[in-house]
Amino acid sequence: MLQVEDIQAYYGEAHIVQGASLTVNAGEVVALLGRNGMGKTTLIRAIMGMAPPQLRSGRVRWQGQDLVGLKPHEIAARRIAIVPQGRRLFPSLTVVEHLTMVKSARATEGWTVERVFGLFPRLAERKGHRGNQLSGGERQMLAIGRALMLDPELILMDEPSEGLAPAMVQRVEEIVLDLKRTGLAILMVEQNLYSALTTADRIYVLETGRMVMETTGAAANADEAPLRRHLGI
Amino acid sequence: MNSFQLLNGLTFAALLFVVASGFTLVFGLLRIVNLSHGALYLLGGYIGYSTATMTGSFGLGMLAAMLGVAAVGLVLDQGLLRFVRGQELRQVLLSLGVALVLNDVALVIWGGDSFTVPTPELLFGAVPVLDTFYPKYRLFVLGMGVLVFVLLWLLLNHTRLGALIRAGVDDPEMVEASGVNIRRVFVLTFLLGCALAGLGGVMGGAFLALYPSADAEILVFSLAVVVIGGRGSLVGAAIGAVMVGLLNTMGQVWFPELAYFVIFGPMAALLAFRPLGLLGRAV
Repeated sequence: MLQVEDIQAYYGEAHIVQGASLTVNAGEVVALLGRNGMGKTTLIRAIMGMAPPQLRSGRVRWQGQDLVGLKPHEIAARRIAIVPQGRRLFPSLTVVEHLTMVKSARATEGWTVERVFGLFPRLAERKGHRGNQLSGGERQMLAIGRALMLDPELILMDEPSEGLAPAMVQRVEEIVLDLKRTGLAILMVEQNLYSALTTADRIYVLETGRMVMETTGAAANADEAPLRRHLGI
Repeated sequence: MNSFQLLNGLTFAALLFVVASGFTLVFGLLRIVNLSHGALYLLGGYIGYSTATMTGSFGLGMLAAMLGVAAVGLVLDQGLLRFVRGQELRQVLLSLGVALVLNDVALVIWGGDSFTVPTPELLFGAVPVLDTFYPKYRLFVLGMGVLVFVLLWLLLNHTRLGALIRAGVDDPEMVEASGVNIRRVFVLTFLLGCALAGLGGVMGGAFLALYPSADAEILVFSLAVVVIGGRGSLVGAAIGAVMVGLLNTMGQVWFPELAYFVIFGPMAALLAFRPLGLLGRAV
């Protein structure tokens, strides 16, 4: 469904992603692991059409079409959503407005405000609060809810467990698996090895801009040693 | 300060608010310090003057000014600003150049004489207010200022477009990644800002008169309003306008030779403690 082919991405002259390739199939959870500064977020931004980075070569194919050169809103319209690093909620918008800015409150097709509140009842209690008045867990739920309002077929999640309490990390893992059950594909950047092992069907490891390892969730769970070696933990 | 002077300050504040609200919307969302905003104000005044003189309708004059200046804004955005997107210094210099060109074009068309937009008969004369008699037209300006504030507030806080504008001030890239064509929101906001400058031109042109260099005066006041209020903040612009309007009147009454200092002194002092203005936020 998504094929990233030999991407070369630069921040100015800094060559951050040096020929990385990956595939995400329909309905699959894929984890992208790697230490800090290895190019994971850059790769996610490149897929979403966000600039910087600047793409100098490589292709991002989605359902047969090349996404390179499209603007983020055009990529979003093709049902790819992002839950970015740091959540990036809007301090000026209420919880409800985060959802209705993506899709009108009157819409009845696909994901609606009601359906998001059904998944995250906590958000319904906070619907008048602004983006900067929420707890860490609520922020993550809202960032996921905002992404869902696009009715995505693929969600790019950049460090969904970052900065969350252990109970909330577990909750995010459950959400990821719930969403997978609805047929959504998820490409997830993770620092947390255990979250990746719990949720991922397949795992890639990125090191200084190159893919150095690809494995399945099952194989990694059976033997963590090769993964740990690459991650240096 | 007597109540006549107080009302003078408030009506001037209402005019400043109309002009500066457009300025702050564009500054906050598009990050463009549009130095042609004053020229757009003057152009709106001239268009309003010609239309009102020809048709005898002040209302048509306001409408023509808003539409005409918005049309100029569209040409400005699509024809020039799009080539320097995201380059703040170039945008500023470009808008300054546009201001000079617009002023010269206005000089060619309307000449160097001073004009006053004819007001409708309904607004002739004065009415008793507080302990004084006050010109009806200036009260109308005060009412328009309040009306524009209410309408903009409703637009920003109770419509989807308003939510997109606020979100765009916070984080335009994330708005785009949520499937919204932010460029369209930018253009609409820019046209709205231009239309407000045009509206201000007609409102002001009926009591401050229109003449070459009137644009620079209103631009300087608008800058002060936006800097005091915080860029992109509607409520900030309202507070800033009232402050500048009242300070300006006080300055003229008490220290006529220091009238500008009375505005910019407090502004500088305020910036020392709140560099982003009263309601400004770091982005």
